[in-house]
Amino acid sequence: MPKDTLDRALFALLLLSLAALPVVLAGEDSSAGRRGGDKAMERRMAYQARVELLRRVYAPVETLRDQGRLPEALLKLDQLARQYPQEAHGHILKGEILGRMGSLDQAVASYVQGVRLNADYVDDKSPLSRRSEIEKTAEEGVRAIGADLKLYPENRSLAAALKNVNYLRSRLAGGCE
Amino acid sequence: MNLRDRHFWEVVAAGLLLGALGVLLSVWGNPENSGICVSCFMENAAGALGLHDNQRMQYLRPELIGFVLGAALCAAAGREFRSRGGSAPLPRLFAGIFLMVGCGVFVGCPIKLFLRLAAGDLTALSGAAGLFAGVWLAVKGLSGGVELAPQKGERGGSGFLIPLLFLLLLVFLIAQPGFVLFSERGSASQHAAWPLSLGAGVLLGGAAQRSRFCITGGMRDLFLMGLRSYSFYGLAAFVAAALLLNLGNGLFHPGMQGQPGAHTDHLWSFLGMGLVGWTSVLIGGCPFRQLVKAGEGDADAGLVVVGMLLGAALVQSWGIAATAAGVSPVGKAGVLAGFAFVAAASLLFRERG
Repeated sequence: MPKDTLDRALFALLLLSLAALPVVLAGEDSSAGRRGGDKAMERRMAYQARVELLRRVYAPVETLRDQGRLPEALLKLDQLARQYPQEAHGHILKGEILGRMGSLDQAVASYVQGVRLNADYVDDKSPLSRRSEIEKTAEEGVRAIGADLKLYPENRSLAAALKNVNYLRSRLAGGCE
Repeated sequence: MNLRDRHFWEVVAAGLLLGALGVLLSVWGNPENSGICVSCFMENAAGALGLHDNQRMQYLRPELIGFVLGAALCAAAGREFRSRGGSAPLPRLFAGIFLMVGCGVFVGCPIKLFLRLAAGDLTALSGAAGLFAGVWLAVKGLSGGVELAPQKGERGGSGFLIPLLFLLLLVFLIAQPGFVLFSERGSASQHAAWPLSLGAGVLLGGAAQRSRFCITGGMRDLFLMGLRSYSFYGLAAFVAAALLLNLGNGLFHPGMQGQPGAHTDHLWSFLGMGLVGWTSVLIGGCPFRQLVKAGEGDADAGLVVVGMLLGAALVQSWGIAATAAGVSPVGKAGVLAGFAFVAAASLLFRERG
């Protein structure tokens, strides 16, 4: 309980501050409030723009791939990789193309590079998701590379390829990462 | 062990509840093997508050809020809420940071460690060995006179600050103001419905407050008192409940490879959890226990919680957190720095003679 003038003044200030809080918060449509509110939307728009840009940049590769001109698609990817060296999308497309060409261990390695750079490719909720393709490759990898490694247990490149497959399996299994 | 002692059953009930809800929250939407993980949840919360920019790790986990508020409510109801503190505040803040570093390198807190084991994730075995080793080391320290300064009752009600902060976080969770960020992809976008998560958190916070349930505390008591310690039975009940529910829900997948959110850098899993075990005993509880103690008015535990929030942000921003690919050099350096910190603190806080 307030005992003297200072106590009473402090108590009044406390009540005043608490009472003013909801009034200030209710003024959400102030310019500062709107700036805060835009943060999530801005982020969503930036992501959509990024997805569109990726689709546009890599469209020639996808066309070549769909036409079955796989070596040309790989060449085009190499060109783009010089322009966008840290872009996961190129690695994922390369994984798909190498998978179609039957080079399983290289396809897995490309997927690993892509997923390490951006885990959205194994995420169902992302428009970039290639989860089902990566899942299929990982399952095939466990079977084929695992069987080869049983035959040649000393083979280091097979061991490295299996490690890559297991990385993909772990990412596909989910978890908090 | 006295089966007529009510406290024994409180500890066992808290363990059962933690194990059951730890699995069920995953079934209801939380990430695999992460139904409850204090360090993952802290990283999510730090991201939601804009303290790091990993867009896949941003969500105000209601369980975390529930732990603190449930403990506060239960402590108030039992007239156990007491504002206290003043024991080596800054070292505790740094201990909170290093707790998150150790957890980040292992990929999970001690609760998640046992949830991972109960789901068949054998990569967590090295972490479990590390946690035991860390607790053992700390017990040796305690018996050698290592103890942080004693607490005292505090004027000014600083014990209310952390419960109030988490009450504010609850308001943020419900009102979702624009400056609070929520992931739309990634593990933070996987969550149970918030009233369910909050309810589970409140229940667990209350049960843990009543029983003093603590993962590292249970291990410490096992070293000190053997099987007479109640906390050991709480820990056993936790693992048994999680194991049975995983088996019942088809979530038990034994193996080393392809486990969710796990890596096979066993040495660093061992060291990361070793750091967590040692630090936790030194400051009087695992990350979960720190939240519960902060809820019942312990301002020292409150500072650990603030440290954990800061540490969680650093773990994400600096790339300390391990991934399925393994542990980064920064993560390894972080663990070593943590060991240097705990060793130095043990030297400086040791009462000799």
